Amino acid sequence: MKVFAAVLAALFCCAAAGPEVDKGKIIGTPTAPIRIDVFSDFECPACKNFHETLLPQIVRDYVMPGKVYVVNREFPLPIPAHQASREEANYATAAARLGIYQPVADALFQNQQAVINGAKPWDILTKILTADQQKRILALAKDPGVLAEVQRDVDAGNKERVSSTPTIIVSHGTQHFPLPYPINYTILRSLLDGFLK
Amino acid sequence: MASSNRIVHWVTVFLRIALGGIFVYAAWVKLFQFSDGRLHLIPWQLFAMAIDSYQLLPQTGVELAARILPWIELAIGLLLVVGRWTRWASLVTSGLLVVFFSLMVRAYAKGQEISCGCFGPGEIISWKTLLRDGSMLAASLWVMAMAWVSRRAPRTLPEPLPPSGTPQESAPNLPS
Repeated sequence: MKVFAAVLAALFCCAAAGPEVDKGKIIGTPTAPIRIDVFSDFECPACKNFHETLLPQIVRDYVMPGKVYVVNREFPLPIPAHQASREEANYATAAARLGIYQPVADALFQNQQAVINGAKPWDILTKILTADQQKRILALAKDPGVLAEVQRDVDAGNKERVSSTPTIIVSHGTQHFPLPYPINYTILRSLLDGFLK
Repeated sequence: MASSNRIVHWVTVFLRIALGGIFVYAAWVKLFQFSDGRLHLIPWQLFAMAIDSYQLLPQTGVELAARILPWIELAIGLLLVVGRWTRWASLVTSGLLVVFFSLMVRAYAKGQEISCGCFGPGEIISWKTLLRDGSMLAASLWVMAMAWVSRRAPRTLPEPLPPSGTPQESAPNLPS
């Protein structure tokens, strides 16, 4: 009976911590005092700008020293101009299951204009993935679990009233602060340093 | 009071209270957050990012505006709601709204997809935000005009002239 209770307690613990965020989408260690959630869309130019300019600075100054961890969340905007967004989000989420979210996200953002011009996201990814990775990601991208995870991110974004991308939410303790975009890095540093004092 | 005057009076009172309430709300969402069963002060840097996105002020100006503007909004909002110092409160409100509205129109015309910073982050400048803030500016100008006009108007109506034929106090006889 005691063993059963212990197993049940362990299950509840895992369920509570469970499917909220895929570890493969986290940059840094989740024990860091500040969490930054990034809701983005692979076809959004501002998201590309954030991914390629501000995110590396945050990683260098705050994630590497263990002060902040970043959680990548999918928020494919349901607009006609972003036809491939959902598909790209599925590939990225599938890649996270293999522990290669970042290189896939980098490739999708780097080739954003090509996709907007009509290139197929999968053709871009085949250039950076091994044959085995391609096979597994293709299978995972159709997996109901992966599709549900993307939808969970979208639902989480809607719950946070995300209306545009990128939406960056800084959490410290029980407080959550959605940041206005564009972000001035000097002001962001002042904010994060204030939390870390 | 004539019925049209009464309507104008109550419309003005309604607009004043509504405008005050909107300003109090706008200040509240920039200043306070309720979480963990307690009221927390929101870091000024969040509003500073919204101000900075307009790319108008230097860093020190951005910081100063972000630190004091929400408190000014709160003060004038409360004054408008309670109806104290209405002339000056509506004057400051109109001044602020002229600045805010002009900056939003400028950003919209330039095609900047930025957060308007009106009621916290996440609200991108669009024709809807322009329409809303334009309506607020119109209401504010109306409240201000009414407040200043009523100040110039006599406080009491003049005494009606007595009907003809009634005895009047005669003018003192002046020496010729």
